[in-house]
Amino acid sequence: MIILLQVLPVALRAMVPVTLCAVGEITGERAGVVNIGLEGIMTLSAFAAAIGSWATGNPWIGALCGMGAGAIVGLLHGFISVYLRGDQIISGVGINLLGMGAVGFGTWALWGAKSPMLDKKFWIPEVPGLGISPFVLMTPLLVVLTWWLLHRTALGLRIRAVGENPVAADVVGVPVEGVRLLAVVFGGALGGLAGAFLSLDWLHTVSPTLPAGRGFIALANVVFSKLNPFLALLGGFLFGYFDALAIQLASVAGFGGGIPYQFVRMIPYIATLAVVALAIGRARFPKALGQPYRRE
Amino acid sequence: MADNALLEARGIAKVYPDGTVALRGVDLVVRPGEVHGLLGENGAGKTTLTKIISGLLPPTSGEIRWRGKRVRFSSPREALRAGIGMVHQHFALVGPFTGLENIALGEEGGGALSPVHVASVRRRVEAIMRESGLEAPLDVPVEDLPVGVQQRVEILKMLYREVDLLILDEPTAVLTPQEAEELFSVLRGLAAQGRSVIFITHKLAEVTAVTDRVTVLRRGEVVATRETPGSTAEELARLMVGEELPPPRARAERAPGREVLRLEGFTVPGPAGKPAVQGVSFSVREGEILGIAGVQGNGQTELVEALVGLRPWSGHAELLGKDLAGRGPGEIASLGLAHIPEDRHGMGLILEFNLAENAILGRLRPFLDPLGRLRWGKVYRFARELISRFSIQAPGPRVPVRYLSGGNQQRLVVGRELSKAPKLLIANQPTRGLDVAATRYIRDLLLRLRDEGMAILLVSADLDEVLELSDRVAVMYRGTFAGVLSREEFDRERIGLLMGGVREAG
Ligand SMILES: Nc1ncnc2c1ncn2[C@@H]1O[C@H](COP(=O)(O)OP(=O)(O)O)[C@@H](O)[C@H]1O
Ligand SMILES: [Mg+2]
Repeated sequence: MIILLQVLPVALRAMVPVTLCAVGEITGERAGVVNIGLEGIMTLSAFAAAIGSWATGNPWIGALCGMGAGAIVGLLHGFISVYLRGDQIISGVGINLLGMGAVGFGTWALWGAKSPMLDKKFWIPEVPGLGISPFVLMTPLLVVLTWWLLHRTALGLRIRAVGENPVAADVVGVPVEGVRLLAVVFGGALGGLAGAFLSLDWLHTVSPTLPAGRGFIALANVVFSKLNPFLALLGGFLFGYFDALAIQLASVAGFGGGIPYQFVRMIPYIATLAVVALAIGRARFPKALGQPYRRE
Repeated sequence: MADNALLEARGIAKVYPDGTVALRGVDLVVRPGEVHGLLGENGAGKTTLTKIISGLLPPTSGEIRWRGKRVRFSSPREALRAGIGMVHQHFALVGPFTGLENIALGEEGGGALSPVHVASVRRRVEAIMRESGLEAPLDVPVEDLPVGVQQRVEILKMLYREVDLLILDEPTAVLTPQEAEELFSVLRGLAAQGRSVIFITHKLAEVTAVTDRVTVLRRGEVVATRETPGSTAEELARLMVGEELPPPRARAERAPGREVLRLEGFTVPGPAGKPAVQGVSFSVREGEILGIAGVQGNGQTELVEALVGLRPWSGHAELLGKDLAGRGPGEIASLGLAHIPEDRHGMGLILEFNLAENAILGRLRPFLDPLGRLRWGKVYRFARELISRFSIQAPGPRVPVRYLSGGNQQRLVVGRELSKAPKLLIANQPTRGLDVAATRYIRDLLLRLRDEGMAILLVSADLDEVLELSDRVAVMYRGTFAGVLSREEFDRERIGLLMGGVREAG
């Protein structure tokens, strides 16, 4: 029983990347653009954040560098999907491969064969007095902000309109391409923030496989959430909880259980699959999701 | 330039990227405060012309003057800013949005990051509703509204933007006769306020009912612009079609024969758990045409798809005494059912295949040799036979059907279906999108088949078509039959009310 509560701090941390990525992706999908390159975005932006923090000595500037890197990749994906009308899935796959390749090369060039540990002075400090990561507080705030953006503002109305029926938006003068691009860049920036969290706050390292599949879990979380940011927060917390539990169990199992470590580490992923399998089917996705817009 | 012109289009030509020449130098002048009819057959270029005027398509050549100034709109947004708004045939509405959200979209009343000014938008829309007489619920997702009401939301959306020229592309196609009358009085009210309307139609009666002037388009050219008072329907018909058509086939007096199709309590599930067709009962007999009238989207599509085996259903259905329960499309067809689908591109034809290949779709067996190979000689002979029997204008049996006109594609579908020697023919919107000559051909053919003893179930949103062809008419409303009338009881007004959901007493 104790273990179920003990893992809570880790669970809250593990919630962050899966939630931030999902909420960003929800924004893009509401506008009609799928970006399956979240894994790659996090990999790249974790690296960019670490470099930024290391170069400036200020971890917050590092986090901004991570966000900027995510936004730039979002811009690239948005440009390919929206303006070049390319296949969004292929572009997303490309981003994932780019993330692995570029960061693999970058770490090798800077540090040689082994992944570096970031020195403590480059870490994002904990919130004084509370002893928790500022990202854990920021995540729910960003969830509320995104929900408000999507469902209360004029821009949100336009984002949802271009994802559902771009013709209708175009006819009343909403710039379909611009709104879509903006939504994808916003999604990329949130993914970038998630990447910065990975390197500067949680794992304190960079590597080509740093997100360990969390970008894909975030995609599952998007389906689970039915594009509702609040449900994405819940989904993110559920995954984070299983993740933390697995980390804890693995350390225990390593001592006596005889259950292989890798097997226990599968728990969060299998739990995610199960949750998505139960939740899927009732989700209603935007009608124009994945379809480039061309005026006749 | 013409004086007193709000809009003046000169020498507009349009060649689509695929080489189709849709407009060949069209002139159109719209005056302030007039309802201007744009009359023409299907394919004449009416939609193309108005899409150019409203900034959705660039013209290949020609120029447009708006309030006397030369303009070149590169997007609908620019045209809308200038005061030109168009309601498209396929509505441009965001389904899950409410009427209010659809109207507010793009004009939310503040900056991008400020909240939608719901209250002030609502106040303005309500004022517009009072002034124009157009009423629509504002807080229901538009996808849950009947099409006639969705159209009102579309018009309100344009009035909210204070357009001076409102373009309506075949607005009456989705309306009951009464709703059309209401629309006409709204349009007259707008004109009285000094606004102008371009009203597109291919129905002559509507031109005489609402327009002040009319421009007739034929094959991408203007054949005449007239003051409506003083023009006769015959004259306009001649201008529109460009040839005299033989009079329609007279229907033979004929007592219907034995029952071919019988349905009892026929129910088809629809989306979101609500049935699309609910407990419908009827029969169709030899030598009779049963027409199903109704505004599109009231369950007609689902009824037909279930009957031909493409959708699950419950209740009882039998064809020539054989129960249809549990039978798939192939099996049902082999019992003697042929089907002219409403969407000839999606369901009736494979556009990439050639004419001969399409001619044998769904009926390969007679063309196979003992080893199961296609006997192409026989296939081409059969295709040539269809071409001559159904007067299909085509260079030969090897032409991809994509290159045939709509009318000739439909002749091919009809010919193929009739070659199956069916006992029951289901014709769903058989003349939609066809020109006058092809429409006449298909309608005459249906009447001839009926005279020869075939049982025909005709589904059509075109009330005139249903009334012209049917021996009995059933009106479909929200998945049920609102009434079945025999030929002596035909009455446009009464059927129009039934189409709009007004139930008969008793
Ligand atoms: N997007 C398009 N691409 C190619 N040809 C088209 C396109 N839209 C319409 N056409 C063709 O242009 C002609 C005029 O069509 P349209 O303007 O829709 O006529 P109408 O509205 O009078 O029925 C037709 O021959 C039609 O097939
Ligand atoms: Mg048209």
